[in-house]
Amino acid sequence: MKEIWAIFRKDLLIELRTKDSLNAMLFFGVVVLVVFNFALESGRDSMRQAAPGILWVAFAFSGTLGLNRTFAAEKENGCLQGLLLVPADRGVVYLGKMLAASVFMLLAEAVIFVFSVVLFNLTVWAEIPYLALVFMIGTLGFTAVGTLLAAISVNTKLREVLLPLILFPVVLPILVNAVEATNIILNAFDSAALRLPLTVMSVFTIVFGTLSYVVFEHVLED
Amino acid sequence: MEPMRYLFAAYMAIWVLLALYLYSIDSREKKLQQEVRRLKELLEKSRPK
Amino acid sequence: MSERFPSRLDAVLGALTALSMAAALYMALVAAPRERTMGDLQRIFYFHVSAAITGMTAFALNFAASLAYLVKKNRRWDNLALSAAEIGVMFLSMVLVTGPIWAKPVWMVWWTWSPRLTSSLVLCLLYAAYLLLRQYIEDPERRAAVSAAFGIVAFLDTPLVWFSIRWWRDLHPSPMLETGGLAPSMRPALWISWAAFQFLLVYLLRRRFCLESMRDELERLQRLAG
Repeated sequence: MKEIWAIFRKDLLIELRTKDSLNAMLFFGVVVLVVFNFALESGRDSMRQAAPGILWVAFAFSGTLGLNRTFAAEKENGCLQGLLLVPADRGVVYLGKMLAASVFMLLAEAVIFVFSVVLFNLTVWAEIPYLALVFMIGTLGFTAVGTLLAAISVNTKLREVLLPLILFPVVLPILVNAVEATNIILNAFDSAALRLPLTVMSVFTIVFGTLSYVVFEHVLED
Repeated sequence: MEPMRYLFAAYMAIWVLLALYLYSIDSREKKLQQEVRRLKELLEKSRPK
Repeated sequence: MSERFPSRLDAVLGALTALSMAAALYMALVAAPRERTMGDLQRIFYFHVSAAITGMTAFALNFAASLAYLVKKNRRWDNLALSAAEIGVMFLSMVLVTGPIWAKPVWMVWWTWSPRLTSSLVLCLLYAAYLLLRQYIEDPERRAAVSAAFGIVAFLDTPLVWFSIRWWRDLHPSPMLETGGLAPSMRPALWISWAAFQFLLVYLLRRRFCLESMRDELERLQRLAG
């Protein structure tokens, strides 16, 4: 348990000190928002309809950046070997990194969301708790499988470029459910209707979190 | 009859895909067999008498 | 049965496959009853659905082989997994090509975002990602292990993908309905088509697996030759 905490803390501290990926994630997320504004017709109502999709595209791209950095930095500095020497279950490395990646992604999402509220003129005070819940579960699901796939892709010929290619098809259930849940919250509020997408996302997170934990050691380079 | 044209196109698509795939297996097989034969001959020749 | 080169059993298998495909074609195009609303165009259905089912079977095989590899660490399981994935992608491509050809004359659009078509597209992408991933890993042991992990991920993802797309479709329904019900008189044709495609799957698996075994043999010889 303390190993997970140790790895988590390490990633967190390094990031807070350098802010390497956080800056990139935030910047990229906001850029996506701006680009989508030009890509779609902008009228006050239609932005609220389009917001769920735009938000989650921004989150997904930003999250992918963050995931890549989780392992790319280790690979650059030759730290992967060091991590492998941790006298514990390899799955522990997975959990530590997954939690750190989740925290970064959630931070980025919060900032991107604030930007979207401003840029798209959304009024969302009442909906915030529900949005927070959807963002959190969606992010956990994303990083649950993303951490495993990031560990895989960083050790291939294409390195980080491979991650979006293998991650996006896998993470589709999260994206579909998260976008629709966000849409329900923003455009057709019905808390009962939220139960299904939240359940599916939770199942996704548990299934892939467990699988990744078990399979992680097979995937790290020896 | 227009719909028959589409029906024909669909079945042709299936056969074409299948044929292409079988062809790709065949040609890969031939190349591999050539290489295997070549290496086997090479090893035969270099075997100490 | 020799692993490396096609044997007599393979020839028999090939003949059986060809025969059953011919029978299926007859059933689908001639023997099956004409459908009321779509007419003869509906006959695409038998091969379209059989290809979808067979593609999924191939992916299930990939899952089993991936699991087996992680447990046993025998490279032959990896060869089977690769073969199954490649063939599954091919079958799903058949679905993705025949789907639009069917949709255009019936609904005037090439693509309907129906659950079956959309799921087929996503699954095709998923296993194409599997094949892509393999291309970029050079060490065979590592490639086998990583592919096995991804194969397991992909298969566990499949029901979630299917379910999510279905739900999304319920939220955003479309006027284009895919043929749900199957008249009992059409069942024999579907069964025979399915059976023919299963034979085809086994035959293709066998050929593809032999190819991989040959490649292993080549690598072994290359190592000997230095």
